[in-house]
Amino acid sequence: MPEPVVVDRVTKRFSGHTAVENGAGKTTTLRMIMDIYEPDAGSIRLFDQVGGGRIHSARIGYLPEERGLYPRMRVLDVLVFLAEAKGVSRRAARVKALEWLERLGLADWRLRKVSDLSKGMQQKVQFISTILHDPDLVILDEPFSGLDPVNSQVLRDTVVDYRHRGKTVLFSTHIMEHAEKLCDRLCIIARGKKLIDGTLAEVKHTHGGKHVIVEFDGTQGNARQIFADRQLVAKLQDFGQQAELELATGADAQEILKALVNSGARLARFELASPSLHKIFVDLVGPEAATAAASGARGANGGANA
Amino acid sequence: MHKIWAVVRREFVERVRTKWFWVSAILGPVLFAGIIVFQIVQSMGGAVRNVAVVDSTTDKLGPKVIEALDASGSFRATLAAAGPGVIDSLSNLVESKQLNGFLIITDDLVQTGRAEYQASNLGMQTIESLQRTLGKLVVKARLEQRGVNPGVVDWAQIRIALDQKKISHGKAVSDSATQSFFMAYFMAILLFMAILLYGVNVMSSVLEEKTTRIIEVLVSSIRPFQLMLGKILGAGSVSFFQFVIWGVSARVLLSLRGPIARALGADPASVQTMVLPHIPAATLAVFIAFFLGGFLLYSAMFAAVGAMSSNEQEARQAQQPVTYLLMVSYLSILGLTNDPSSTFARTLSLVPFTTPIATPVRWTAGSMPTWELAASLVILAIGIVAVTWVYRVGILMTGKRPTVKELVRWVRTA
Repeated sequence: MPEPVVVDRVTKRFSGHTAVENGAGKTTTLRMIMDIYEPDAGSIRLFDQVGGGRIHSARIGYLPEERGLYPRMRVLDVLVFLAEAKGVSRRAARVKALEWLERLGLADWRLRKVSDLSKGMQQKVQFISTILHDPDLVILDEPFSGLDPVNSQVLRDTVVDYRHRGKTVLFSTHIMEHAEKLCDRLCIIARGKKLIDGTLAEVKHTHGGKHVIVEFDGTQGNARQIFADRQLVAKLQDFGQQAELELATGADAQEILKALVNSGARLARFELASPSLHKIFVDLVGPEAATAAASGARGANGGANA
Repeated sequence: MHKIWAVVRREFVERVRTKWFWVSAILGPVLFAGIIVFQIVQSMGGAVRNVAVVDSTTDKLGPKVIEALDASGSFRATLAAAGPGVIDSLSNLVESKQLNGFLIITDDLVQTGRAEYQASNLGMQTIESLQRTLGKLVVKARLEQRGVNPGVVDWAQIRIALDQKKISHGKAVSDSATQSFFMAYFMAILLFMAILLYGVNVMSSVLEEKTTRIIEVLVSSIRPFQLMLGKILGAGSVSFFQFVIWGVSARVLLSLRGPIARALGADPASVQTMVLPHIPAATLAVFIAFFLGGFLLYSAMFAAVGAMSSNEQEARQAQQPVTYLLMVSYLSILGLTNDPSSTFARTLSLVPFTTPIATPVRWTAGSMPTWELAASLVILAIGIVAVTWVYRVGILMTGKRPTVKELVRWVRTA
């Protein structure tokens, strides 16, 4: 079963400080996969072959974190050129580019300069350039950052579509919700260290305790006091109208429900749940690092992995 | 290969699409046509000046002066008798454009070599021509005064024609120093122009890819060396295309010189024909090799400058040293042609930045051993490779500009 991407203990240092140790360091790792940087140690294998992204560029679509196109070039010309750079023939690239422009509603703009396009349209063009050559592996570095809702949806749909077609999408994000909704496998990186690596189910199983989500309907009664009881609640994430609790060992959720109702709290929701990825992340790295990066990976269920 | 070709084509098409390309493509022939018309107008009437000669010499030298002036082909001279008020009336004629000027000669002409010329326009060529004609006449007159036979005087004044032959690689070749000088000079100007007009474009193109961050996508599918090579070849072909446009239009305009002259009412025969110098095949090969090498080196240097800078302003500062290097080679041409085998000349042809201009100049001057030529080529190639390394590392760097120390380290470690 060939793995599309194998990152084996890669390390990269920049003028004395270690940016990546054993593959931890999102963008730098992706850049090493794409052959933009050479790893100082370790190795990268793609499609079960030695070598980075450049050799396999015809099979990889890469959307870097910092996006950009040639502002003075015509939309169609940019797409054709970028496809040619990946080894697609000029003629095939043209046909594909027109097809995609049509699909995303940009057909009328094909002969306009990139700089004439709105930000949202430019994002679409860049996205087309990433997948124009129908790659087997798509690598997206923070794909959702700066995307408007419409483009966000287009991107999500395409990711799901790729998954159904048995291809692999590898993307990094710091929005746990995206990772949780879209990923089959994930790897969480914080402060240059890898914290979690596995399928979503595995991660939830290993790191989830018993979780309860409580949502109040106005009156909260004596809830704070009950939440503070270490006999019942091990950890608390308080959002004001909503709280996510991790039960103490041996505690019964029903006890808490009873206590809450008795204290006069009105509840809109009381749910036994597995922890959110966000919660797992915060628990692992501490709230102060919650803004630090995590990276989600989605391995395909079918084709490429089977 | 396919990828390099894609880069070359993008570079070429995008450049040729700009209006600046076409502005300069049209400006070249317009300028050239202007030069041709100017030359024709110069050869017409402009060169023949109407002058009056005011003769107050006791020996009546006036007619002789007039004869000599007419013979020079640049003047149409008439005699004006000296007398009171003659200067004023001649001045009026000059004022009303019936005369270009008038010459006043007295006995001083032969005795102390003094004469006076008054004109509406004191062109340098006119003055020189007058001085030359009068000088010959006066020498003759002085010698005749001392009893020298006029035939002897004429014979004594025959100028020396020095037949020049260059010894090039053991053989005497009919050639002249001026010819090889101009050839080398012409090639240096061509290289200078190609680099400053088009090599610089490589810098802005690299910078654009860096500032828009598109470089990341490019480098993940094209090797940095391929990318740079493609860019330089693209810029080079744009410059070649521009030169072809200029060359063809110049050729057409040259062949149209006769009709143009007729249209302007000048004698077509008066338009001199231009003789192209004969260039030996070996020299041509050296020229082409060093021209291409020089273009490659300097364009790669501009690419490296673009790669090291993070904005237009920084790049403009960083390109200055590169431009200075080019200037140094350009300004050294005169010294090189004076003594092509001096230590100075040898040094310049062994430094990668000056060798593209120094070596062809030394080669045409005919004093360069083949092994030195080979050494220059090798050094040029090493220079190109080193600069490519700097580009490769710089292209992915963001943030501050590297120090010289860091640059050296890059070149060593890359």
